[in-house]
Amino acid sequence: MGGTLVLLGILSLWEGWRLYALRTQMVAGAVVGDDTFPSIVGAALLLLGAAILLVAKLPQVKVAPPYGEPRKRMILGAAILVAYWLILPYLGYTGSTALVSTGLFRAMGGYRWPGALLLGSATTGALYLLFRVWLLQPLPTGLLGL
Amino acid sequence: MDVLGHLGSGFAAALTPTNLLMALLGSLLGTLVGVLPGLGPTAAIAILFPLTTVLQPVPAIIMLAGIYYGAMYGGSTTAILLNIPGEVASVPTCLDGYPMAQQGRGGVALGISAIGSFFAGTLGVVALTFFAPFLADQALRFGPPEYFGLMVLAFTVIASLSGGSLVKGFAMAFLGYFVSLIGLGPSTAEPRFTFGWAPLMSGVDLIALIVGLYAISEVFIGLEEARVAITQKIRKVFPRLADLRAAFPAILRGTGIGFVLGLLPGCAPGVTVFLAYDAEKKLSRHPERFGTGAIEGVASPESANNATSSAGFIPLLALGIPASAPLAVLLGGLLVYGLQPGPLLFQKNPDFVWTIIASLYVGNVILLILNLPLIGMWVWLTRIPYGILGPMILLLAFIGAYSVRNSMFDVGVSLVCGLGGFFLRRHQWPLAPLLLAFILGPLLEKYLIQSLSMSGGSPLIFFQRGISLALIVGAALLLLTSLALVRYASRRAKEETTEELAL
Repeated sequence: MGGTLVLLGILSLWEGWRLYALRTQMVAGAVVGDDTFPSIVGAALLLLGAAILLVAKLPQVKVAPPYGEPRKRMILGAAILVAYWLILPYLGYTGSTALVSTGLFRAMGGYRWPGALLLGSATTGALYLLFRVWLLQPLPTGLLGL
Repeated sequence: MDVLGHLGSGFAAALTPTNLLMALLGSLLGTLVGVLPGLGPTAAIAILFPLTTVLQPVPAIIMLAGIYYGAMYGGSTTAILLNIPGEVASVPTCLDGYPMAQQGRGGVALGISAIGSFFAGTLGVVALTFFAPFLADQALRFGPPEYFGLMVLAFTVIASLSGGSLVKGFAMAFLGYFVSLIGLGPSTAEPRFTFGWAPLMSGVDLIALIVGLYAISEVFIGLEEARVAITQKIRKVFPRLADLRAAFPAILRGTGIGFVLGLLPGCAPGVTVFLAYDAEKKLSRHPERFGTGAIEGVASPESANNATSSAGFIPLLALGIPASAPLAVLLGGLLVYGLQPGPLLFQKNPDFVWTIIASLYVGNVILLILNLPLIGMWVWLTRIPYGILGPMILLLAFIGAYSVRNSMFDVGVSLVCGLGGFFLRRHQWPLAPLLLAFILGPLLEKYLIQSLSMSGGSPLIFFQRGISLALIVGAALLLLTSLALVRYASRRAKEETTEELAL
């Protein structure tokens, strides 16, 4: 984490420097501008990151990586969510939600296919009623117009 | 118009059928989600927040306030019945609430919790009614340096939200400031951190961030812990007269401690509940009963929790400073609806503010009326398997992130934030400072730039004006006080749970 903060700090300082050069060209006489806060944040991130890497003794947190069935469910769940994000614009909200909810109930809940299909259909119907019919949300309709 | 006149017109607006329905719906939904095992008030608000975005600002905020109160109560239900504190503020409630549940008195504990919460919540709102306008009256004296001082004061809240490690808290806060910088610069509209990619120009959406950090990561934490539904039987719900007599002094003391400390911008419920519990134990003639199912051990921290939460509305509405993670999410809600909490809110939007304050009274009454008879239903909800809850939360989170700006980019942001939130939570990096800094970052930058422009670049301007100097000195003092209180609460939480808990 300390290394990430150092990198972000450098990035922020670099962006501050770029904006400073722009300000001095664009706005004559301005003593502060869009570069000021990124520079302050960058310096703070750099200092904090360096402190975490070199000085500060943070409480040791031992985190065992997930294993077995929970790990499988987490990986499958995350993969299905990413797939949802990718297919939603093409399949539309209703079609992709029906597919994805069935997949999530199967992968995360461990239900058999008929059970997952039933739960997925019921959830899709309920969400459709709530968001499209009741709340009139404009949701993606996809290539099929669903 | 005087305070009571304003409050009267606030009640007239809050009691319209639509607003009343939203308060009812918010309280119900908040309790419904808050009662689910492992979901604390912050996650509950994060999950339900997007639902409110289709409403007009006033009913939306009323519903959000109802969700907040409901989720707080829901958190107590899981603490008492299942020994699962949704957030650290519910840990002391577990100590005596769960033994009571094991003795078949879980219903009585929930009843006392509801009554204590109602009493403390109502008292907190009464104080808000009379105290917040006084603070807001100072509004005309505020210029950019004073607002900057206020933002510095808000920064001290990070100490109490840092989960015991100040370095981690500050690191997360500056990470939040960093994320808030993405988009167009406020002075010249020059893109910052966009790397020429158009979707980044509109910046990171607050709801996508909240949904990812709290709702999506919560589901994966639940999957990792292999959460299951737990069954618990409830016999009696309504407390006996003897129970009420035993609990009432504890309710009063808990309310007092929670409210007074809750007025400090850096004092979260996670701190006051332990102080209230310990004070009750010290004052008791039979301290040995604590931890075995003493009703005072439930009444006192529950009242302190709600009193602090209600008192937290005072710095939130009058100064724009949230005292806890759920209030930080509420602050985000106010900003999403174009309302800037702070001294000017009472002058610019008096109708709105007084409707909200009146709706807080209404929300407290609704919760008391609903919760006692519905305790059986809340218990039934805790039996829903996580294999059903998890996917449903994810689907709601997904659509919630999309619906604000109808943007698939925001959904992608929420997925990335979900992954990041999961990693950070597992390694005990506190999320609340990140969220708070993300919300306050643009304001801090605005007031900093305006102040420095006024002074020709000299930072001495912050120390040359009375109010800003007082706010900065106050911030330093509060930071020290918060540090001491957080150390105490962290130690107590560790003693009671044998693990580190984020405050």
